Amino acid sequence: MTERSRPRVARLLGIVAYLEDNGATPFAELASHFGVTEEQIARDIEQLWIVGRPGGFANDLIDFDYDSFDAGIAVVTNTQGARQIRLAPREGVALVAALSALVGSGTAPRVAQSALDKVVAALGEQTVTVVGTPDARAEIALTLARAIQQQVVVELDYVDAGDHRTARAVEPHRIVTIDGAPYLECWCRRAGDYRTLRVDRIVSAEVTDEDAVTPASGSEGFTLAREYDATIRLRRGGRWALEDIPGVTIEDDGELVTATAGVTNESWLAGRLLGIAPALITVEPEQLRKEVARQAKSVLAAHGE
Amino acid sequence: MERTAPEERLLNLLIALTSTRVRMTKQQVRSTVYGYDQGIQGEDVKADAAFERMFERDKEDLRRLGVPLQTVTDAANGGDIGYRIDASASSMEPIDVTPAELAVLSLAADYWRDAALGADARQAVIKVASRVPHEAIPELPFGARATGSSAALGVIAEALHERRAIAFDYASSSSPPSSRVVDPWRIVMAGGTEYLVGRDHRADAQRTFRLSRILGAVRPKGEPGAFEIPAAVSLDSLARGELTGTATVALRPEAGHALRLSGTPAGTDGEWDLVEVPYRHLDTVRSDILALSGAARAVAPPELVEAVRGFAQAAVAATSDGGVA
Repeated sequence: MTERSRPRVARLLGIVAYLEDNGATPFAELASHFGVTEEQIARDIEQLWIVGRPGGFANDLIDFDYDSFDAGIAVVTNTQGARQIRLAPREGVALVAALSALVGSGTAPRVAQSALDKVVAALGEQTVTVVGTPDARAEIALTLARAIQQQVVVELDYVDAGDHRTARAVEPHRIVTIDGAPYLECWCRRAGDYRTLRVDRIVSAEVTDEDAVTPASGSEGFTLAREYDATIRLRRGGRWALEDIPGVTIEDDGELVTATAGVTNESWLAGRLLGIAPALITVEPEQLRKEVARQAKSVLAAHGE
Repeated sequence: MERTAPEERLLNLLIALTSTRVRMTKQQVRSTVYGYDQGIQGEDVKADAAFERMFERDKEDLRRLGVPLQTVTDAANGGDIGYRIDASASSMEPIDVTPAELAVLSLAADYWRDAALGADARQAVIKVASRVPHEAIPELPFGARATGSSAALGVIAEALHERRAIAFDYASSSSPPSSRVVDPWRIVMAGGTEYLVGRDHRADAQRTFRLSRILGAVRPKGEPGAFEIPAAVSLDSLARGELTGTATVALRPEAGHALRLSGTPAGTDGEWDLVEVPYRHLDTVRSDILALSGAARAVAPPELVEAVRGFAQAAVAATSDGGVA
């Protein structure tokens, strides 16, 4: 219940502050500005109408012009001193950390840096510090951004997660930062399907003059089918490496951890488990256990054992 | 009688405590702020408990919204506690953002979509937008999203703001998990990785923690105002984007492309290509080599070679019949 009431309080106060700053405003403009429907704006104003100081007399309550309301225009006539609340520490860190991830990925639009600077300045307290410089991906990102804007095909030299290096022609749609790393959402002509490619695995990118014709995918990408469910028991020290597996559930009894996840890419998961091998106790089912053993033995063979 | 919506009660409380001349006691809140007694029915004892719960929840909601709630004790009146809100300390100044910057802030809100900070980020964007005139927002061919949990980040940010210690379990790359108590000084974002910098109580010295290696929940510990943050916190090692060393890795031809991208060629060794890879944390190189299942071989430094071998042996032991290491 309270999860939904806080954002609504922020919007209700936002409407009052907006009207105080900007005067008479059509519901349609408020709806577009706050990302809700006009009906919701009408309900919000009806809610604000019955809010105010203790006492409960008409002149204690927030008030709007009644005739304007009927015409779909909001005019606040008494705010009872209600004002928008400054950014909370959690809100500040949520914005600054996300903007930092965007900026740090080296592929963000330039306005991300200026927005970050303004939010940091407004917070007054330096909770989050951003250090280091974005790496040399900027040039490839620039090429991709140009291709997206011109809606043309771009030719890539790409290294995939299975470590295969391929040349592919793609129709680029959007650059998405996931956990601080930039990805390109695109239509891959070679695969005949939508793909999400890691920008830092693009070796080179060349813009062509061929028009991109496939519309952007409405879906979120990463819709891989699960092949089977795996259960991994491990000492607690390895828990961190499993927390970001999509759809994982983790039971933690303080000493031992049991992680259950749908496996979409067996060899990738086996490789991830090798990285925390000293913490592993059991790996189920047998199919995954065998893959982990096979990879471990290949590593030992490469190291002369 | 219909229950008052929680947001209606919260706004009434916010306005009452902002407009009160001196302060309001809990009893005054209960009897005069609309939404409290109206939402409570039944016997006295139960009604008292229901009011307490409601009031505590509302105080928590106000705090999460960023309202600094002042407590005012009245010495003349048996030291009972009253509350007020200082309007100038709690209200938002306009941030002068352009439509394009507002669009980028919305991207930032999307970043946390499935995580603990998502609601906070969306609230923040609403707050910023409420002091910005409406203009058409450009559509950006960009997106952002976090997959991991952000719960720790929110708790650390609040504790840092309140100058309150935090406790958590931590798995460092070199030692088994242990419980830590830390005064949080800074959250640092470096190269897409989140760090906490602060004073580790046991070591009584500045330490850096990778947020991704915190196990489970972060909890506030002790009272607010328990420490001061030094004026100059040295972030040198993080600030240089410092690469702490260079590893030499042998790769099969046509393999290890990701490692090749991050390193530089360094000749060959028989059928293997040698690549020098600068690293920040040796354990990431170790994981990269292991994940290539035999198409990569650690060459230097010796501790890397030893670690790769040790991990592979542990994996064999854990997956051999019987399954127990």
